[in-house]
Formats: sequence, structure tokens, C-alpha cells
Amino acid sequence: MMRAELAKNLLLGRLGTGDLHSLLLESEPVTLRAGAKVMVAGQKVAHVYFPIDCAISLLVETGDRPPVEIGLVGREGMLGVPLILGARQSSASGLVQAPGLAWRVEAGHFMQCLRDSEPLRRRMQCYVHVYMTQLTEAASCKHFHKLTERLARWLLMSADRLQSSELALTHEYLSYMLGVRRAGTTLAARGLQERGLIDYSRGHIELLDRGGLESASCACYAREKKRYAYLMR
Amino acid sequence: MNRPAPERNHILNALPLAAREHLYPHLKHVVMPFGMVLYESGAVLRHIYFPVDSIVSLLYVLSSGASAEIAVVGNEGAVGVSLFMGGETTPSRAVVQSAGSAYRLSGARLKREFDRHGQLLNVLLRYTQSLITQMAQTAVCNRHHALDQQLCRWLLLSLDRLESNELRVTQELIANMIGVRREGVTEAAGRLQKLGVIRYSRGKITVLDRPRLEALSCECYAVVKTETDRLMGLHRG
Repeated sequence: MMRAELAKNLLLGRLGTGDLHSLLLESEPVTLRAGAKVMVAGQKVAHVYFPIDCAISLLVETGDRPPVEIGLVGREGMLGVPLILGARQSSASGLVQAPGLAWRVEAGHFMQCLRDSEPLRRRMQCYVHVYMTQLTEAASCKHFHKLTERLARWLLMSADRLQSSELALTHEYLSYMLGVRRAGTTLAARGLQERGLIDYSRGHIELLDRGGLESASCACYAREKKRYAYLMR
Repeated sequence: MNRPAPERNHILNALPLAAREHLYPHLKHVVMPFGMVLYESGAVLRHIYFPVDSIVSLLYVLSSGASAEIAVVGNEGAVGVSLFMGGETTPSRAVVQSAGSAYRLSGARLKREFDRHGQLLNVLLRYTQSLITQMAQTAVCNRHHALDQQLCRWLLLSLDRLESNELRVTQELIANMIGVRREGVTEAAGRLQKLGVIRYSRGKITVLDRPRLEALSCECYAVVKTETDRLMGLHRG
């Protein structure tokens, strides 16, 4: 794969040539299907994934209820934070939300590369910080913000990660991601549609007015975006 | 005042003797009164804190002033992990939830120690993973679980960090931490008291029946506890 293609993942794109080359020694491109589980909570992390044009939801599973999404990883990030921290297992699962391409690196090799390169380690730890910031916001956003605001935020985050204004999503899937009942999601989506911000038709959402959606979203969206730009500069 | 040994903090305790001997002269013992703010959200961090017998809450603060706890840190961990993650500033506010003390190390010294003893960085990284688990589980708990269960989880996580069965805490504080109204906490605590699980009297909660408290908590407590023990090399005995 050309470097330009790899650089669509913002973490890979910012690595030095030496670090990128050593990572790529034990790696391969993979096409991920929607709904595929690429990381399983409580099991060893086999690969880290750097999404090129797919999006992966991080879910925490609970015994008797639907899982809760705690993060969304796309081209701005990577899946496999525990490995950066020296842990082999993840406590969250990774479920492919939007299909597409990712570059994956074998876990042992990834950890070896971290041991060998201080700049790579620093870069990846910086991403851990970003990831923790997102988690912090996710916890409070779920707690405090209205469903419509959260829906707007989630649509914007997905669109950013996929670099597309069209999302293939069912209401059921959205409910799952937002941790609410389907009826609530339907109502919130209808609200956004009536304001001319999105166009929704069976399993397909198009973002019509980004500016409007940003105003409809809670402040978490803008804050997180600004912080990412600053931290990963 | 008697200074608790730094080894009561699990991170410091996990270091080899040589690393400890080198590090200790740079540690400053600090008293942590209730309500003390270690840092505000967005602040630049200058120190990392290793609590020995205090508990620090990491809170997310909204622009409206409302806040919710995203994690608790006690003698199992450290406050200020952003310092070595390269983030400099932090998205949360750190405030002392249970008075006691901690050992403090400057950020500059911490970085110098990393170069000397790889172990310190490794232990702190593993702790960060357990903190991430706690934050993720808190998000789930806030979303899904009943207030009574959340209260049990909160009490258990706090007590583990004090290695005690008594907690000095007001209902108002618990309400702020869980992010609910105080009346709700009063009712939930009343129910636990009626079941003989806790005794509550003016600013003090005593746990009478710990197994029952664990049974009444949601799974979030066990998830966080197991993962923390695993990552920090401790096992339930």
C-alpha cells in the first residue's frame, strides 16, 4: 500500500519513516465487515488496528443488558490501547460499525516496536491520553446530555471518522450506540430531520447541514475535536 | 503526625528496592484535607500524587458546574497520569474525597526517574490501563444501573482504597459523585441500613456486612476490582 493511503490514518501519517517501516514488517491490510468483532473483552488482543476508512465502536458488555458504547475509533486513532500500556487483554470489545479498510499489526510485533523506539512510544502514549479524554467525556455526556444532542454528536463523530456525509445505519443500531430504547432514537432522529439537518431513510442517514448539526450537538463534540487537534499536533 | 510508609501505595511498593531508595528522597509527603483540589480540569500538571491513605475523585465538570465522578484513586494508584502520557493538561478535576495523605513527585523528576528505572514507567502504564477500565465501567454504570447498585459499587471502591470498613462521607458528597440528587442517596442509604448492610450516622458510614454489599452491587465493582488486581499483580487471597 502506498504511504499516502496509509497516511489516511492520522496516527500512521504522523510517524517517522523508520517507525512506520518497522511497524509494517509484521502487518497487513484487512477489509472489515460491519458487525465483525475485532477485539473481544477479556481475551488477548491479537492485533492492533489502524482504521483507514472504517469505524470501530468500543463496547463494554454487561451481563443482562445491551452493551454500552464508550468510544468510536476511526482514522484519527487505533484499536489496541491496552498493548501500549503493557497489558495483553482489553476490557472493552471492538465491533466494526462502518465497514472498510484497516491496517493491522500483530500484537507482539507492535509491542516490540514500542520497546525499540522512544518516539513511537511517545506518539502512542499521547494517543492514550486522547483516548482517556474521550472516555471522560463519554461518561459525562451519557449522564448529562439530552438524547438529541448526543445523537447529533454521534453522527458528526461518525462522519468525521469516515470522511463521508452518508452513513449506513439502522435505528436499532443507533439505539444500541446511544444506549437508549429504539423509540427514543426514532423521535430524536425525526426531530433532526424536521429541522432539515439530516435526511433519514431506512438504514441510511445523510448529513445535510453540518453547521446546523454542530449547533444541535452538545458542546462535547467541538471540545473533543479541538483537544484532539491540540494534543496530536 | 505519623507518616504512613510510602510502600502503602501499591505503585511505589511494586518497585525494586534500588529504585525505591533512589526515588524516596524526592518524594514529598503531603497532607490531603477533604475537598482539596489537586488540579482543575484544563490545568497544566506539575506533580504526580501517590495516595497512601486518602482517596481522590476524578471528576468531569460541565460548563454548568454540574459534575460527575469518572474514577476514584487511592493507594492502588496515582493521580496525574496525563503527566507522563504527554498530555500535559487534564480533562478532569481531581479533588480529595476522603482526607489523608499522599506522596508527591514533581513531573520533571518523574521523567528523569523513567530514564533510570524502566520499572516505574511500566507499573504506571499498567495502572493507567486499570484506570481506563474503571472509567469505561463508570460510563456503563451511570447509564444502566439502579442508584442502589451504584451506591454499593461506590462504597466498595472507596473502602478498598482505604483498607477499612468505615468511610467519613456526607450523603451530599455521594450524590455529587454519582451525579444524582441528595434525596435519592438518602433513600438508597436508608434501604441499605434497613437491610443491616451498613450503619449510617452523621457523616460516617460503617459497613456491617461486606459480602452482602458486594452481592447488592452491580457487576461493575467486580469488573474494576478484578482488572485492577490483575494488572497490578495482586490477587484476591
